[in-house]
Amino acid sequence: MPKEKPDAEAALQKLGQRLRAGMAEQHPAQNLEIVRGAVREQYEQEKAAKREKKTAPDAAKAPQRKPPEPDLER
Amino acid sequence: MDALIRIVRTYRLTDGLAERLRLAEEIFRHIEPDLRLFVFSAIRPPAADDVFQEVLKAVAVSLKKFAGDTTAQFWKWCYRIARNKLGDHYRSQRIERMQPMPPEEILELVEASQKAAPLSAADKHDLEYALNLLTSSKPECREYLWRHFVLGLDYAEIAEADDLTYDNARMRISRCLDEAKSLVA
Repeated sequence: MPKEKPDAEAALQKLGQRLRAGMAEQHPAQNLEIVRGAVREQYEQEKAAKREKKTAPDAAKAPQRKPPEPDLER
Repeated sequence: MDALIRIVRTYRLTDGLAERLRLAEEIFRHIEPDLRLFVFSAIRPPAADDVFQEVLKAVAVSLKKFAGDTTAQFWKWCYRIARNKLGDHYRSQRIERMQPMPPEEILELVEASQKAAPLSAADKHDLEYALNLLTSSKPECREYLWRHFVLGLDYAEIAEADDLTYDNARMRISRCLDEAKSLVA
């Protein structure tokens, strides 16, 4: 008896599931170090930006140096 | 709410480095196989390894900036990043379109998948049929079938990537599927 033709969409989706599972088997999360590095880098950048933000208003508040008074005695 | 988007949203609100690292690992355990398949089915190694690492890095660095609230939006965002990185690669190498995964690599992956769940006779029959559908299709149709059914990209994502309307993408994919089915009698 000839085999029944499978559902085309379901067959292609099943192939996708198998390929993802195969990828996970062949390469079990081997790039996590890259991810950790990127997260750390991002965290450091945020911290630096926060530090800058904190110091920036202080600088604005600091009294501006007055230009030297003209020498009136001369 | 789906587990993945819950972790992504928690990540967005998290300040501490240790917690961020833990959440990022969880997120990438979810998305890495799909993104790897996306990249490796568009370009060949060893370039694929470099592009894939670029994609992971770009996603990780931008995680805090992701503004969506659903898993579908998150996937769309990840694929957009991956597509941009692939686009950069195509431009730098002067390649015009995706380089499909060779059948022997597909079979290797299917073989590897058996470690987690062995293939039944029905599964083998279905997968053989799926491969026939792909190999019988013209390159453009193969690409559509691959992206929509195998990779799981929705019509909106494909429409955005190919600069088509949603309906146009849907109709093209449907026409390609009908054509492939008629060729694999």
